[in-house]
Amino acid sequence: MTAGREREVTRAFVSLASNLANGYDVVDLLNDLTVDCARLLDVASAGLLLADGRGVLHVMAASSERTRQLEVFQLQRAEGPCRDCFHEQKAIPVPDLAAQAARWPQFVPAALEAGFASVHALPMRLRDNGLGALGLFGTTVGALGPDDLSLGQALADVASVALVQDNAAADRTAVNEQLQTALTSRVVLEQAKGVLAQQGELDMPQAFAVLRKYARDHNLPLTKVAQAIVSRALPAEAALDHARTRGQSRS
Amino acid sequence: MVGAGSALEAANSLCHACVDLLEVDGASISLMHEGNSRGTFGSSNELSRRLDSLQYTFGEGPCLDAVREGRPVLATDLSDPQDQRWPAFRDAMLESGVRAVFALPVAVASSYVGALDLFRSQKGEMTTEALTGGLMAAELAALPLLDLMTADVDWEGAGQGDDGWEQLASLERVEVYQATGMIMGAMEMGPSEALVRLRAHAYARGMTASELAWAVVERRLQLDVDDWSGDAGDVTGPAR
Repeated sequence: MTAGREREVTRAFVSLASNLANGYDVVDLLNDLTVDCARLLDVASAGLLLADGRGVLHVMAASSERTRQLEVFQLQRAEGPCRDCFHEQKAIPVPDLAAQAARWPQFVPAALEAGFASVHALPMRLRDNGLGALGLFGTTVGALGPDDLSLGQALADVASVALVQDNAAADRTAVNEQLQTALTSRVVLEQAKGVLAQQGELDMPQAFAVLRKYARDHNLPLTKVAQAIVSRALPAEAALDHARTRGQSRS
Repeated sequence: MVGAGSALEAANSLCHACVDLLEVDGASISLMHEGNSRGTFGSSNELSRRLDSLQYTFGEGPCLDAVREGRPVLATDLSDPQDQRWPAFRDAMLESGVRAVFALPVAVASSYVGALDLFRSQKGEMTTEALTGGLMAAELAALPLLDLMTADVDWEGAGQGDDGWEQLASLERVEVYQATGMIMGAMEMGPSEALVRLRAHAYARGMTASELAWAVVERRLQLDVDDWSGDAGDVTGPAR
């Protein structure tokens, strides 16, 4: 590990640890985490899939907004390495996607078309409970090194801890309730992005930046701001104005 | 309501299934959609339907609380004098021989639009299995409620070949959430209403909800208020 990367890894974990200690917004944290994965590991894109109470996987966070890439994550509700990883509760390394076309006849062509050549799926779990999977997508063929894999798993473990906050109440019903809350927060976030995109004539990444800037500058959880936009307690125009007059967010 | 018949039938079947599978004596589904279409829309029998609708008469009850709070509201022993949450509703329940009621909220596009009410003549908690089954039934109840919220569309024959879970999955997608938000922003409506519009439009055009959502998100489909509330404009650009 180079000194520069080591410093970045340290910074990412310090930031996660301080978020965990100080109360945090789970959607915001998981989003940061996928961005950290894509930046720190030798991968192009990272996505986090969470299971609902029926064991169906949903996109909880992704490092990229590119539509084809999102579709690759969503497809794995039906088949793919993240789905297998979740069901088998173990890492599924796929260094050469093209060679696995027979195993996942729908997923592989879609992933290749989106520009991916390899994927490594890592399980998210808390004790005996499977929560979902972290998918690490690369644009070149090849296996991730052991350093990258263990760092990726560490990041997935942090995400799992962040999702299930009350360790004492870790029976399956309580876990499902917390996962459902996180998934609903994600739905509301996407709806709020849609409202801002429409009213401010923005694309989705810009709408997300507006939302996040408003939340950070007012020291509010991202989810609360998204809820307020959706319920119209906070007019979309107010968040758009804030972003216009205060310039672009640094993060 | 042209399409209401099959939706009511589906709601009734779901209530019957709850009675068969969940160790309860009665079940009903009610809709509380932005005030205008409130009421009981499906039930396993006449008594359940009547008990459920009593909540509107009294203006209190577990189903109203479940929708307002967005979480299950469980009354395991209505004869317990400590439980004073709904005095009028409670007396009517006890008179009819109901000792326990479980109200599970039904969500459409992240907002709660109704509830599945389960009635039992014996007091006591639900088993974990029964509660899990009840929560799944409450998820499935979103489909007939969505149909009922779209009074102007004949859903007969829509989504043929799909089971309920597949139909729900077709709506649980990032682009559908984003497009729902864009419709909310353009038409000034709530999330459930926006999803209802999106779904009706997709159906009218022979598109999937996802295809229509992409067209909205990529701005190949104009969100013109006049167009959107009635007949729709054209989708431009290449289909994905």
